[in-house]
Amino acid sequence: MKTAYWLQGGGCGGDTFSFLSSECPDIIGLFRALDIQLLWHPSLSIISPLSHENLYEDILAGRQTLDILLVEGSVICGPAGTGMFHTVDGHPKKERIYSLASQAQVVIAVGTCACFGGFGADDAIEATGLQFVKKQPGGFLGKDFTSKSGQPVINLAGCPCHHDVISGALMSAAKGVVLELDKYQRPLEWYSTTVHQGCTRNEYHEYRVEESDFGEMGCLFFHMGCAGPLVPGPCNKSLWNQQSSKTRAGVPCFGCTDPEFPRATPFFQTPNIEGIPLSLPMGVNRAHYMVYKGMAAAAAPEHLKNRKSKV
Amino acid sequence: MAKITKGINIPLNRAEGDLEINVEIEGGIITEAWSAGTLFRGFEGMMRGRGALDGLVMTPRVCGICSITHLTAAVEALDAIATVTPPDNARRLRNLALMVETVQSDVRQAILMFMADFANREAYADHPLAADASRRYQPLAGRAALEVIRESKRLVQVMAIIGGQWPHTSFMVPGGVTSVPEISKLLQCRIIVERFCSWYERSILGCSIDRWLAIQSVSDLDAWLDESPSHQESEVGFFIRFSRQAGMHTLGKGPNRYLSYGNLPLPLDTEVQGTDGRMTAAGFAASTTVIPFEGSKITEDVSHAWYEQGAIPLHPFSGRTKPYASGQSGRLYSWVKAPRYGDEVVETGPLAEMIVAGNPLFCDMIEKDGPSVMARQLARMVRPTGLLPSMAVWLNELVERRGDSFYHSVRSMPDGQGAGMIQAARGALGHWVKIQDEKITHYQIITPTAWNGSPRDEQGRRGAWEDALIGTPIKDSKNPVEAGHVVRSFDPCLVCAVHCLKKGETRGAVNDGLTR
Repeated sequence: MKTAYWLQGGGCGGDTFSFLSSECPDIIGLFRALDIQLLWHPSLSIISPLSHENLYEDILAGRQTLDILLVEGSVICGPAGTGMFHTVDGHPKKERIYSLASQAQVVIAVGTCACFGGFGADDAIEATGLQFVKKQPGGFLGKDFTSKSGQPVINLAGCPCHHDVISGALMSAAKGVVLELDKYQRPLEWYSTTVHQGCTRNEYHEYRVEESDFGEMGCLFFHMGCAGPLVPGPCNKSLWNQQSSKTRAGVPCFGCTDPEFPRATPFFQTPNIEGIPLSLPMGVNRAHYMVYKGMAAAAAPEHLKNRKSKV
Repeated sequence: MAKITKGINIPLNRAEGDLEINVEIEGGIITEAWSAGTLFRGFEGMMRGRGALDGLVMTPRVCGICSITHLTAAVEALDAIATVTPPDNARRLRNLALMVETVQSDVRQAILMFMADFANREAYADHPLAADASRRYQPLAGRAALEVIRESKRLVQVMAIIGGQWPHTSFMVPGGVTSVPEISKLLQCRIIVERFCSWYERSILGCSIDRWLAIQSVSDLDAWLDESPSHQESEVGFFIRFSRQAGMHTLGKGPNRYLSYGNLPLPLDTEVQGTDGRMTAAGFAASTTVIPFEGSKITEDVSHAWYEQGAIPLHPFSGRTKPYASGQSGRLYSWVKAPRYGDEVVETGPLAEMIVAGNPLFCDMIEKDGPSVMARQLARMVRPTGLLPSMAVWLNELVERRGDSFYHSVRSMPDGQGAGMIQAARGALGHWVKIQDEKITHYQIITPTAWNGSPRDEQGRRGAWEDALIGTPIKDSKNPVEAGHVVRSFDPCLVCAVHCLKKGETRGAVNDGLTR
């Protein structure tokens, strides 16, 4: 049997609600199949405040083993490093995050706020990720931190994190699988695919049939601020809630798995130079890209220009 | 002499966000209560200077369980600024998504968050229904808990079909929505809603929605309960039996003042009925006397909250959110502000919606026994009876008129100000927005939990659930489950209730005496 503890930092609970949408197995089947005992989840547990305090003390004293620590939400360090913008019984909650992380075999950051700070990383709340602040390594636990199993924090980025990623990471942790990570400590299993891969607007993208208003069929990358080709994530590979993805519903990808999310520039707009996006797909040369896109637009077939292909 | 226990701090879990209730207990009864939101996060300061449409992406992230709700308030404010009326199909899709979010929230809150406490064996060892409650509500194991996790997840698929994903989509834009699902997907939504509806009738109500809606009074309710074993064994029937036995019909009175902004703007051409262009009525009620709602009567008081103090409480178009973290004053104790309506403390949520709409059963309950934990929680459990039938109607209308417009193009946002005022699952939610030169210059949010979980105001009047806590008996101060019932009957959502700022605007000293 393995034990798990779900800790809520400065966040919205969205990762919990994403996780509730897991399917095959759903969360009940998942915990049963993996024989995981959920010691605490802030939205699900019914133990009394006193029993929860005792549990916390037992974990710290080593009387209760903690195999998997999941942290949702950022570590709030403000104002001025005190952490007093987020307290438990008058003490900064960040102290608890540190104590529990020190005892866990595996530490998993669930969602962009826990990974990189996310909302409030630039503000006085000093929202900090467990091992990063945006792209800067270190974060709350420090860049040299490893959990008791010797692994760094596993960053499950996304706002919210995709349900299949949360359940997949739990399966891996419970079975002792060590996941290969990218430079921002996101598992390659889910973050070596771009959101663009599998997007149903790809045919339009190929021929540079681009939209500049909502409600159309074409690609959203050039003018509507879509970050699908720029960021990793499984949204168009493993569908959301077993159904869809934002780009399929006409909503641009906002790049929520990126350490800089939420970006400073306005959403729904693509910063560009001479009509070509400022940020190009990973590893692409600008001059080559401009030639390629010019030729692609010239070659666009009529059925795409007339928006006949459904998305 | 009665034993007086001062300063018991109750951290309340199964609330979205962090909440601590500090109470004084005298002779086993709560005599004073302070409610403190202990997480300052919020968004308003982050919004200033951002792109005009960014509220559509930022504010859903205020709350993971009412993500569509914040999106709806944000887009209604932008519609108002752009002076655009979305086409009927956009209304239908927006309303459907919001209704799905409300319905999933209502059943999850009832079974996973509220009734989970009935399975608290430390507290209910002597309750005659304790064993049954444990079989139903034990987290991740009870029969009802498992059913709710599985059924609510399927219903959530409707929001993903309409908006791409849940939570945190931004498919509503000024002028309408970004797409319309294909016919087969709309038909699939119909089946998902129908399937959910039959489960809801079978498991939650134990009868058809029509049979439930025939209940017009407390005596009708008693007759309904006696009528059949399926009524007694349903979650609503069990809730009534368990909570009466535990005295919840006398617990958690509160201010007996109610507020609803109204909700769900009607398409111009629809079979669904409503009041003043909305399906859910707006209004203020003192007990069961309803008067029309006026948005200008809303103010926010910060006299007991950790914010820079103003001379007088302000309307949210003028209000500011500047944290003032000072350890010197014991008077300040929460990150939640104190909104007031016409200078009155009010409660908001499903019970308020029922009272403002003149629902005969709930008006009768209030007139006979006053508001209570039981009335508040029952209103939430049965609110889907008023939503599910209209959802089916709107899905049918969408299938028939799928080819009609769903978006009026809004190519740029003019300067101006607008408010988006709706009913979230937890009650009245407002976004007050000002736009200038395609940028946000002002963003204030008042959430349902700010109304219900407010601290004291300048006149020293307690917030709604602080007030409701007074007089609550506590059997075991180490396991104060009764206080939890009172506060949870308001369905607290603290992540929504807190606010944020830009760097460099912090004032005052911070020390260890910050929280009381």
